Amino acid sequence: MSIEIRNLTKHFGAFLALDNVSLTVQTGELLALLGPSGSGKTTLLRIVAGLEFADPGTGRVFFHDADVTDLATGARRVGFAFQHYALFRHMTVFENIAFGLRVRPKATRPSEEEIRRRVTELLKLVQLEQLGQRHPSQLSGGQRQRVALARALAVEPKVLLLDEPFGALDARVRKELRRWIRQLHEDIHVTTIFVTHDQDEALEVADRVVVMNQARIEQVGTPDEVYDHPATPFVCNFLGNVNLFRGRVRHGQVQLGEKEFPLSGYESVQDAPALAYVRPHEITIGTHPNGGTNLAALVKRVNSAGPLVRLDLEHQIDGTPFTVELTKAESLRLPLRAGARVYVELRNVRIFPGD
Amino acid sequence: MAAATLSRLTRTGPIRRATHDPRWIRWTLITVALGFLALFLFVPLAAVFTEALRHGIRGYFSSFENPEALAAIRLTVLTAAIAVPLNLVFGVAAAWAIAKFGFPGKSLLITLIDLPFAVSPVISGLVFVLLFGLQGWLGPWLHEHDIKIIFAVPGIVLATIFVTFPFVARELIPLMQAQGVGEEYAALTLGASGWQTFWRITLPNIKWGLFYGVILCNARAMGEFGAVSVVSGHIRGQTNTMPLHVEILYNEYNFVAAFAVASLLALLALVTLVLKSYVEWRANLTRIPDEH
Repeated sequence: MSIEIRNLTKHFGAFLALDNVSLTVQTGELLALLGPSGSGKTTLLRIVAGLEFADPGTGRVFFHDADVTDLATGARRVGFAFQHYALFRHMTVFENIAFGLRVRPKATRPSEEEIRRRVTELLKLVQLEQLGQRHPSQLSGGQRQRVALARALAVEPKVLLLDEPFGALDARVRKELRRWIRQLHEDIHVTTIFVTHDQDEALEVADRVVVMNQARIEQVGTPDEVYDHPATPFVCNFLGNVNLFRGRVRHGQVQLGEKEFPLSGYESVQDAPALAYVRPHEITIGTHPNGGTNLAALVKRVNSAGPLVRLDLEHQIDGTPFTVELTKAESLRLPLRAGARVYVELRNVRIFPGD
Repeated sequence: MAAATLSRLTRTGPIRRATHDPRWIRWTLITVALGFLALFLFVPLAAVFTEALRHGIRGYFSSFENPEALAAIRLTVLTAAIAVPLNLVFGVAAAWAIAKFGFPGKSLLITLIDLPFAVSPVISGLVFVLLFGLQGWLGPWLHEHDIKIIFAVPGIVLATIFVTFPFVARELIPLMQAQGVGEEYAALTLGASGWQTFWRITLPNIKWGLFYGVILCNARAMGEFGAVSVVSGHIRGQTNTMPLHVEILYNEYNFVAAFAVASLLALLALVTLVLKSYVEWRANLTRIPDEH
C-alpha cells in the first residue's frame, strides 16, 4: 500500500506544525521521519493515522489512490504503535492483541478459535509466546513495545505507523529492537513509517529517510544519500557530527586554506558569506604541508579511548575549533599530543551559501 | 577480621533508624490520637446504639413499625435511588469531558462542579425555594399548572442531587487525567467505536474510582439534612426523610425512636466505611505502576 501526502498544513493555535508538506511512500517501504522535537514529524504521522486532521481545506492523504483524508482512524486500517505503548492496562497481553479482532462488527469478526490462532501466531512473531497471560505492568519496556506491535499487526493493517518506537527504552534494548524491527519488516513487508529523533536509528533501520525541520521537509533520500549528500546545512548538521568552517564565496569559488572549492550558481557573486561542512572522519592530518587545503592547526586535546582517536584542534588563523577522528593505526604514525602543530587536509567538503 | 569488625559494629546498642522517634513520643502521639477518636467518634456512636436499645430489642424494632418512620425510610431510599444514578451519569460525563478534551470554559466547569461543596447546604435549599417556591421565580407558573416541587418529593430529590453532585466527578477527574487518552486512541486505531472504547477501555480503568465516588455520593444523599430540611416542609409521612424524622422524634422527647432511626443512619455510615476500605484495597491491588 503506497501512501501519498499532498500539501498538508497544520496549525496548533498560532504554532505552525506542518507547512505545506508533500511526501510519497512506496509500497512495502520502511520510511523514517527524522527531525528534532517540534519539527512536525509526529504530527505528520498522526495525520496519516487519522488521529489528527490537517487544517481544513489544505491537502489530502491517499492510501494507494484512495482518498482517506476524511476517514476516521478506525476505518483507515492502520496499525499504530504509540510512543508510550498505550497498552490496555486491565487486559492480559493476549487480550490486548485480540482487542482489534474482538471489536469488529459481528459479520466480520473471526471465530473464537480463529482469534486464538491469530493471537498465538502473533505472540510467536514477537517472541512472547510464554507471556500471553501476563499484564502489561509485568513486562519490561522492550516486551511492551513488542506487544504494542503485535496488537497493531493483529488487525492486518495496510500501513504500520510507529511513533518513536525505541524512544522510551534504554540504549541496549534499543539496539536489539532496532535490528529486530528491521528483520520483522523483511518478513512481513508492510508499508511502515516510523518517527524518530535519533539519526543513528533512522540511518540504520530505514530504506529511506525524511529529514524534517521547523514544519518542513528538508530532504528525502536513502540513508547514504542524506548522509553523504545533504541538501541543506540543517541536514548536514543533524546527521552525525560535523565541523563548520566559515568562508567567503567570490565568483563561485570558496577559499579554504590553500584550496578553492566551487559553489555552483554563485559564479557571478562578488562576495558573500559561505559555510563549509566537513565530517570529523573526512579529514587527514599531516605533519608537513602536502598540497590540498593545508590548514595549519594546533592540537588542543587527544582522546584515544574507544575504537577511534578523537582530536580537538584549533584553526591557526581564525581560531575555529574542530574535531578529527582517526583510526588508532593512523594516529600512531603521527606525533600527536596537545600543543602539536599539524597540517590538515579536508577530503570531503560540502559548501552552502549563508552565514 | 572484616567479619568480626562488622558484627561488632552491628551489635552496639539497639538499632535506631532515622525515622524512629523515642518510645515515649510515639506512645504519647498514639494515645492522643486514640483518645480524640474515642471522645468524638466512638462515644457518640456507642451513645446512639445505647439509647436506641434502652428499652431492649423489642423496643428498638417497634420504633420501625410506626408508619411515619417507614415512610421516612422509603423516602430516603427513593431519593438516593434517583439522585445517585443521575449523579453517576453526570459525574462520568463531566469527568470524561474535563479529563479527555480541551474546550473553552473548562476551568469554569470544574469550579461549578465544586460549588455545592463551597455553599452551605441550607443556602442550597433556599436557592430551590427561591426558584420554585410560591413566591419564587417559577412559583406562579408552577402553581397554575398544579406542579408541586417545594414542600414535596421533587424538591427533596432536586436538593439532594444538587448537594451530592460533586462526589463522583471529583473522584474521577484526577484519575482520568492521570490515565490520559493514550489507551482510548489506541482502541480507536484498532477499529473500536466510541461506545466500544468507553465500555471496554475507559470504564474498566475507572471502575474502582467510580464505585468509591458512588459510595460517598450515596452516603451523603441518604444523610443530607440542611438542604432537604429547607425544601421539605416536614410533612409527616410524606416529605420527611430519615434525618428529618430523627429531628422531629427527638424534639418530641421520643428518644428511643429517634435513636433507633439514627442507628440506621449510623449503620449506613459503618457499611460505607467498610466498603470504602474494601474499594481502596482493591484499587491498590489492581493499580498498575507507572511505565517507569
